[in-house]
Amino acid sequence: MSEGARGWGFVAPALLWTVAFFLVPLGVMAAMSFARLDGRELVWGLDWGNYAKLAEPAIGQAVRVSLEITLTVTAVSVLLAYPLAAILAFQVPPRWQRLALLLALLPFWTSYVVRSYAWLLVLSKQGVVNKALMGLGLVTEPLTLANTRFATVTGFVHFFTMLLTLTIYANLVQLPRNYARAAQDLGASGWQTFRHVILPLTLPGIVTGAFLSFVLCIGDYITPQILGGNNELALPQVIMVQLGRRADFPLASALSVVLMGLVTVAYLLSSRWLRLDRT
Amino acid sequence: MMRWLGWLYLLTAYGFILLPVAVLVLFSLQDGRLPVPPFQGVSFRWYADVLGDRDLMAALGNSALVAVGSSALACALGFLAAYGLARHVLPGAALVRALLVLPLAVSTLIVGLGLLIGLNRLGIGLSLWTAGIGHVVINLPLCFAILYSAMGDQQRNAERAARDLGANQAQVLWLVTVPMLRPALLAAFFLSVTLSWDEFIIGFLLTRFDVTLPVEIWNLLRSGLSPRLNAIGSLVFLASVAVVVALEILVLARRRA
Amino acid sequence: MTPWSRACLSAAAVAALPGAALAQELNALVWCDHADPALVEPFEQAHGVRVNLREYEGSGAALATLEQSQPGDWDVLVIDAIDVPRVVEAGLMAELPVDQLPTADFFPQVLMEASTTRDGKVYAVTEKFGYNTISFNSAEVDAEDMQSLGTILTDEYAGRIAIYDYYLPVMGLAAVSLGMQTADLAADDLPALREMLFAMKERAATVGEVVASQTALATGEVDIVIGGGEFLTAVLAAEQPEMTWTIPDQGAVLWAQSIGVLEGSQNKDLALEFVKYIVSPEGQARLATSSCYWGMPANRMAGEHLTDEQKAVLRWDEQEQYLSRAQLYPAPDADLDTQMQDLWLEMLQR
Repeated sequence: MSEGARGWGFVAPALLWTVAFFLVPLGVMAAMSFARLDGRELVWGLDWGNYAKLAEPAIGQAVRVSLEITLTVTAVSVLLAYPLAAILAFQVPPRWQRLALLLALLPFWTSYVVRSYAWLLVLSKQGVVNKALMGLGLVTEPLTLANTRFATVTGFVHFFTMLLTLTIYANLVQLPRNYARAAQDLGASGWQTFRHVILPLTLPGIVTGAFLSFVLCIGDYITPQILGGNNELALPQVIMVQLGRRADFPLASALSVVLMGLVTVAYLLSSRWLRLDRT
Repeated sequence: MMRWLGWLYLLTAYGFILLPVAVLVLFSLQDGRLPVPPFQGVSFRWYADVLGDRDLMAALGNSALVAVGSSALACALGFLAAYGLARHVLPGAALVRALLVLPLAVSTLIVGLGLLIGLNRLGIGLSLWTAGIGHVVINLPLCFAILYSAMGDQQRNAERAARDLGANQAQVLWLVTVPMLRPALLAAFFLSVTLSWDEFIIGFLLTRFDVTLPVEIWNLLRSGLSPRLNAIGSLVFLASVAVVVALEILVLARRRA
Repeated sequence: MTPWSRACLSAAAVAALPGAALAQELNALVWCDHADPALVEPFEQAHGVRVNLREYEGSGAALATLEQSQPGDWDVLVIDAIDVPRVVEAGLMAELPVDQLPTADFFPQVLMEASTTRDGKVYAVTEKFGYNTISFNSAEVDAEDMQSLGTILTDEYAGRIAIYDYYLPVMGLAAVSLGMQTADLAADDLPALREMLFAMKERAATVGEVVASQTALATGEVDIVIGGGEFLTAVLAAEQPEMTWTIPDQGAVLWAQSIGVLEGSQNKDLALEFVKYIVSPEGQARLATSSCYWGMPANRMAGEHLTDEQKAVLRWDEQEQYLSRAQLYPAPDADLDTQMQDLWLEMLQR
């Protein structure tokens, strides 16, 4: 048996699995996105009608809503996670860092459906946030926090702050400490050290984490469904409505293709940025 | 001054991160029908209720089975592929690597929907099996990536030595490569179990009667507001934390030894 | 052991547990109220069988599930009464031996013979009914105002309203309040309905399914649920008696769900036994008070198995009057149904 044939023998099972259960289904889905439903009858063909529906306000807006939520969430999570990771890496004594990190990631181990539900309880009119605000006399009437975009974003930011804290922390502790010291010896201020030494070195980690957050956030159904109160629908919610209410697989497929397109654009943008950073 | 701000930030962040968990656990003890303030006293009846729920306990077992089974298979496939690509010069290797990690960049909703449509076309009924297939699809890229990056030259030398001493291919793999990659294999396996355990949308789209725990929790959520949800959520949380802490202590103990 | 045999072993482990099971199984496609162990377990024990339940969200999805299944995958179907003709037309339902079913004891207004019978053959029977109307918190709003959508959709209640997230009943309720007949709804009526729906949405804090609306009401998030009814507030009655419901002066929408045996079932005898159990007085009482949502039992004899408190919550004694003021769910054809769903999505996204 030749060297190459033997190599392929090892790769084949994983490759076949990915092709059979990932690539081929995606292909069928792509083909399905050009089919249409005639009553309950599925008509295959090359019909752009499903994509034309993006022009309809209800569906076009879902794309906008999803992008707005995802971009807000990614940006806010990075801004919240970076200082947290930095404090954990540089200020907390090394022997406590593992414990401190574990504590900051504790909610990871709650079930993901339950986490969104817990935020619903926290943010409700009788929830602890409103009770606390009223107890402190900051507001007289309970605020409407649950069932809003704010609630969806809060639920997401909670999760992705944890995720990004982990990835950025891992990046920061790998930085040789001498770099920062060298910069300071050369007369750089704390801000200059951060801006010109630490930030560029951690940028790949941030972009990777942000891209991961983007993918997970834009494709998530549960969080907006539980926390958003159906006041506006994100793309995954519209896809699930097509599936659950009317079993319109062609339209659901087309919207999924659009969702994949958005992720691809995000990938291209972030990979380009990464390359620019290296040159 | 900066240090004080740092500690303050840390405390606030902990508050934000731990708030929902604290509320979840507190109201799982609610002695009343609604898991919202005012807190009416401590009762364990919701825990008893949850532990006596046949469907919920079956879902717990299903989830464990799917998580362990799909992770083991994903690790095995990922290991073989990583070995093949790291130890053999193959034309188009870069493309194959890209293809193997591609599912990571596609939302699980799309993976699930694609599989659902494909299975429907083939007339294959949904079951725990189909959800397991989907979980292998999303776990395989992770396992492959972790194992591929862990395959270094030091193992290559050991493998060569073993082969020179007369070991056949299977013996080399099983007696040399696998033990040397044990930490990476374990990391890949546990990460994949964690993800699969908590995965919702594939479980939701691809199961029929035997559902996974997140799907059963979702059904519960759709069928009535109750501290039961807090109770099952808290149980899963506390059990997971116990496992993590146990692993942590084991690892620390071994490192010291 | 090679990785291969290990992989095979783990695959075998995945195979070992699910499915290996009891002598006989019954597969039912249902609304969530049937997934209450208190309802299903007595039947399982009496017959020594296992009942597998799968919930669905809308009739369209249920139909698609059935069409994509193999014969024998499903035995029993629970579906909105007005959608029974769609499944019968698709040839999916089996004829029921009506002489074995206690339909003579049913509330005559909910028999729905027009939907459940075709060419003299009965394909399904009504099992449960109720109203899509107005649920509200009587401690927070003026009950007088709740008698008309006109007095609900005002600035006073803006931001205090939830809309029940199912297009047919809420559009039906909007139609009733506009003086239309739900049975005659046509495409020309949609502009007026759209205006009404948008007026609702403008003042709504949330649009949610049963539990989301229930949660919103129970936690004070909202004070009114449009499209709600006994199915929403009954579960809250014990702890929050101020949560109640009413039928507006213009009337409300009657919902009714039916149960039947599927033609493809390979377990028809057992499936029929299940249907008989569900429409028996005991089964009906359990179904009426099941955990997901409550509703009136179709069989009047269920009253003997319900407590006075349960009957009070269900408003047992007022049914004749309510039934006379309620109209059926709209029953759109496929085209109108698509338009209505599109309109609903547009309302949600507003």
